[in-house]
Amino acid sequence: MSLKKFVDKNISVIMTVLAFASLLIVWELVSRFTKAGLFLPPASLILEKFILSFKEPIGKYTMLTHIGVSLYRVGVAFGLSTVFGIALGVSMGYSKLAEAILKPIFEFIRPIPPLAWIPMSILWFGLGDKSKFFIIFLGCFCFITVNTYEGTKNVDKTLIGAARMLGASERQVFFDIVLPSSVPYIFAGLQIAVTAGWSAVVGAEMVHSNEGVGWLIVMGMTYGKTVQIMVGMLAIGLVGFVLATGMAKLERRLCAWNNQGM
Amino acid sequence: MKGFFEKNKYRLISLCSVAGVLLIWELVTDVFHLISPMMLPAPGKVLETFIYKLTGGVNPDGGSLLQHIVSSMKISLGGYFVGVLIGVPLGISMAWSRKFELFAKPLFDVIRPIPALAWIPLMILWLGIGYESKVGIIFFAAFISATINSYAGIKQTNKVHLWVAKTFGASNRQLLFKVAIPTAMPMIFTGLRLALGSSWVALVAAELLAATKGLGYMIQVSRMLGRPDVIIVGMVTIGIIGYLLSSILEKLQKKFVRRTK
Repeated sequence: MSLKKFVDKNISVIMTVLAFASLLIVWELVSRFTKAGLFLPPASLILEKFILSFKEPIGKYTMLTHIGVSLYRVGVAFGLSTVFGIALGVSMGYSKLAEAILKPIFEFIRPIPPLAWIPMSILWFGLGDKSKFFIIFLGCFCFITVNTYEGTKNVDKTLIGAARMLGASERQVFFDIVLPSSVPYIFAGLQIAVTAGWSAVVGAEMVHSNEGVGWLIVMGMTYGKTVQIMVGMLAIGLVGFVLATGMAKLERRLCAWNNQGM
Repeated sequence: MKGFFEKNKYRLISLCSVAGVLLIWELVTDVFHLISPMMLPAPGKVLETFIYKLTGGVNPDGGSLLQHIVSSMKISLGGYFVGVLIGVPLGISMAWSRKFELFAKPLFDVIRPIPALAWIPLMILWLGIGYESKVGIIFFAAFISATINSYAGIKQTNKVHLWVAKTFGASNRQLLFKVAIPTAMPMIFTGLRLALGSSWVALVAAELLAATKGLGYMIQVSRMLGRPDVIIVGMVTIGIIGYLLSSILEKLQKKFVRRTK
């Protein structure tokens, strides 16, 4: 195989490597040999500290515990918001009465960013985990509700009509048609929600906490430790990436019928 | 009369529902005192504070509502425009040029999963707690949504349209400006809207952590001062402005973007 053929075949890998290599080299040179080094620690140091943080604790815990604590907070809140969000979305989408009662209240709460609830939630739930659950819950809840609602609204009317004509009961229409056909929408909502939840936990932990990835970076700020901030950001980015791709994989698995032509 | 009720049945139910919530709120606070006013102030008190802050009252946080709004808007729009001005062209060029995409996409994919909020400590450390650092944070919030959506929009361009244009002798430049970008316009606008939303969210977070003015600062300080009525006024204002910003962009989108299908 000639060199040209090899390059053509693996062009995307080569370019990716090239992009990262040039970024890291420029970064390393800038931070080692210019004054910017005062603000920007070398990339190699950050990587080294990141690996080290799994063995040596930052604060009271190692990196794994910080990530674990944050994931636990997101997990609990995400679980709750999935249950409540789907329930609310489905009932608003399916029943006109429920829509009339609940939608105006929901629409009023929806535009308020979850982090704007932090002061109120601290007053209501104190400084512990409960107030974090509440904030992350709100962060996920709205996306899940909106998407579920859209999904139930967008069910093909012909299908419902056909089922009714063939004698399906209200219950059958709901469980065999409305719910299954809104699943793709619900999953789209869950995907946005998991990202929003991860962002909300970082925000909530930055405002007040004693551990977790948000705590890591905010402590780095308080003590002027740029390395610790960047190590924390690396962790946040990696976990965020894993959550987003994990959710996308799950969707492809569970809603395989919906992926034709995608 | 009966026809009126029949026609507006659901609207009336909605009204009753909102009134019901307000009534319960009033009952548990002012009438039966089930919840301490430190936890949840009565709706009347919130309204009173809202009018007081709106008409220029500066207590207890040292600024009137309008001053806080102006300060927050300046920062969020500043960061938003920088983010959009860089993000949209970046997204378009990444989607248009294969070579550039191969180089830039992996780098972009590294910063993409980092939430804008996670940039706060670094920005504050680098740029201080003033205007610049907050613009920097909001830049990231806007930049990422703007880039992703512009990229996706251009990628959606119908290959057949491009072939047709090529067959009729369009240059690469014409292909981009006459075919690809117009097709991508709805997606680009969606990106602009999402970017504005996330800018506003990021702003609140940035102001909660480090600010001396702005709506986020107002609600944070009011918590420390034990004034939940001001917190609620702040939250509602944040919500209303967020809603207005997104509906303005929606209107613009309807006006400027022609439906392609």
